[in-house]
Amino acid sequence: MAAELDERLEKYAELAVKVGTNLQPGQDLFITAIVQHAPLVRALTRAGYAAGARYVDVLYTDQHVRKAKLELGPEGAVGYSPEWLKERWSAMAGNATFGTTGDPEPELLAGLDGQLVGRDRMTGVIEIAMKHYSDHVLNWSGLAYPNEGWATKVFGKPDVEKLWEAVAFCTRLNEPDPVAAWQEHVAKLKARAAILNQRKFDAIRYRGPGTDLTVGLLDQADWLAAEFTTASGIPYVPNMPTEEVFTTPDCRRAEGYITSTKPLALAGDVVEGLKVTFKDGKIVEVDAKHGADVVRGQLASDERAAYLGELALVDGDSKVGQTGLTFFDTLYDENATCHIAYGFAIVECIRGELGEGVNASSTVHTDFMVGGPQLDVDGITAAGEAVPILREDVWQLTS
Amino acid sequence: MERVDRYAELIVRVGANVQPGQRVFINAAVEHADLVRALTRAAYSAGAEYVDVLYGDGHVRRAMIENADEDVLTYSPPWMVERMSNSADGGALIMVAGDPDPELLADLNQTRVGKARLISVLEQARRGQNTRTMSWTIAACPVAGWAEQVFGEPDVERLWGAVAETVGLDEPDPVAAWREHTARLRERAVQLNERRFDALRYTGPGTELTVGLLPEHKWMGGGTETTSGVFHVANMPTEEVFTTPDRRRADGTIRSTLPLQLGGTVVHDLVVTLADGRIVDVSASVGVDAVRAQLDTDDSARHLGELALVDGTSRVGKTGITFFNTLFDENATCHIAFGSAIQAATDGSLDGLDTNGLQERGLNVSAVHTDFMVGGQEVTVTGVHKDGSEETIIEKDVWQLS
Repeated sequence: MAAELDERLEKYAELAVKVGTNLQPGQDLFITAIVQHAPLVRALTRAGYAAGARYVDVLYTDQHVRKAKLELGPEGAVGYSPEWLKERWSAMAGNATFGTTGDPEPELLAGLDGQLVGRDRMTGVIEIAMKHYSDHVLNWSGLAYPNEGWATKVFGKPDVEKLWEAVAFCTRLNEPDPVAAWQEHVAKLKARAAILNQRKFDAIRYRGPGTDLTVGLLDQADWLAAEFTTASGIPYVPNMPTEEVFTTPDCRRAEGYITSTKPLALAGDVVEGLKVTFKDGKIVEVDAKHGADVVRGQLASDERAAYLGELALVDGDSKVGQTGLTFFDTLYDENATCHIAYGFAIVECIRGELGEGVNASSTVHTDFMVGGPQLDVDGITAAGEAVPILREDVWQLTS
Repeated sequence: MERVDRYAELIVRVGANVQPGQRVFINAAVEHADLVRALTRAAYSAGAEYVDVLYGDGHVRRAMIENADEDVLTYSPPWMVERMSNSADGGALIMVAGDPDPELLADLNQTRVGKARLISVLEQARRGQNTRTMSWTIAACPVAGWAEQVFGEPDVERLWGAVAETVGLDEPDPVAAWREHTARLRERAVQLNERRFDALRYTGPGTELTVGLLPEHKWMGGGTETTSGVFHVANMPTEEVFTTPDRRRADGTIRSTLPLQLGGTVVHDLVVTLADGRIVDVSASVGVDAVRAQLDTDDSARHLGELALVDGTSRVGKTGITFFNTLFDENATCHIAFGSAIQAATDGSLDGLDTNGLQERGLNVSAVHTDFMVGGQEVTVTGVHKDGSEETIIEKDVWQLS
């Protein structure tokens, strides 16, 4: 007989299937998760079948297996994409997918060569996934699984219950009607995006301690928030939680420097005090108190990795920000505050054919946090006028 | 070196016998992660080109069996078929046994449970085994649920001790000890093959059975060689030498000497009576219905498919433990299987025949293959030559041939 089910976990999974992927009857559901996330994967599987999934395809990954490969395996195994995994990712088209976060062992790969870890990415698989995103053929979503290792990283002790409470708060699972709360929240964020789209800014300027960066915007790029829609018309929420309004910038236009305001968990390591400098759109210098090599390794993994792919705005209303926690998990931390990403563009933002200004061929997409009360964000009009968007973590644009 | 690492090394070096440059595939349950990680390290250390791990999850499977449409029960995702096809073509496959949750599917519709099989994946695995292009092994990982089944409490450490004993992990040089062990089993197979017995006779309390052997029969044991000459051991532990009998010739009665785990039921004191190769009567103090259900699966389930000989030197037998896992229990003592034959245990002259052709030549084909134990101190196994002369093979649990 099956073990007694954890009611909160089952509800969480149900919310993720309904709001996150918005799985449609008859779709396959592909879940890719690390092996320590098995309890969540099982709950998602049950919720998936309850929502009418035809088949739920689960692939567990294991960081220890990866570590063994990097430590003991041959050079050819680094970054290798097995044919059968490419086939799995190809089969995802037209279906629903989940990814999970919440690293149970954030320091596991810390002792390895950062360049090696940065290079070990299954680009053959990632390219297929990127193509699916460009074609809008996946209703996909990501969510986190609270666990001891992650809780220890956040709180200094393995207080999983406390982490669960934070996760339930951020994902609105603790609301009386989480689905209704999500509908309201999605509407608010979409209204912000609509205002930004009306303004048609030419550029965004960031100013703050260690930061003075101006990034150009594209005529053909919209600001989006919270919800995407597949080519076949299925609306879905790719991130739970989500607090951001975001766009894809002109990858040819970025001048200045920007300093990260939160640690960045990357490839099994944690990058602290990251500062990157741009010239003609490209990252030309990387500094960090710790982990600069992991970033440099990633930037070297393809020719377009060092160009920007995303700008995202988050204010102090953010539930993630309100927790005051650093989660050491991009899904959460990127929703705590403003962030930018180098690498692959958010192609969902682009109207029409992908123009030259869209960074559409990188296999990297790494968000890092730049926001907080000390960051001023302005929209720059075509005439060169600066319009305040964020001041002291408060949203300024109401129309 | 940690115990789990020594165990993993044994499985990689002796079981799958991973070769430099080979791809290694590991199939295991999520609960086996510790052993899987050690296997991965050992495989890379042995020179693996790439190690691919596929974790299965009983709870995911349970949800599928409960909810999916009938046709999905036998669905194999194409990528899993591709993966196993890759393994069959020259790869090494390590399958990890040891049920983390033996009761997990017990309350489900058993027809659906029985039907749920990754048929196309299994076909690829069978291809790799039959064409001998894949080096493969099955070994077990001690886990709490299995330990509870064996000992009545989740004493994983005790189960580790027992498993370690059965695979000789505490030997000073386990790999060398295994080479010696498999050489001895192969020597036994050679002894039996030289004699070309026409039949085997089992005698003991409640047991008087004669089973015919085919002219094409071949005794096997200790391991198998791939077409590229890699010697691998398909089961760890293994203590048996085995062959496939003539499905048309078995007469007498045989009494099982150990409990038999059968689809969630434990059968005690099984007694089977055969006439003209066919099981005509079964009785048991507990669980006889489970046996009858199996025998009714198809027309050939009532005929025999395997004879296996194990003597008192068996490390599994010496533990005195019922493991509720065929990998172990069938290596505790002599056993017989009703149901499908092991075609590999023939000289190859029957290869290529269809089901009818095989059955006409005496090789049984069935969807069932169930081993039950018939051995121990009181059972004597005798080889019978075509001319009626006899030679004792096992007596008082001691191997007699040389």
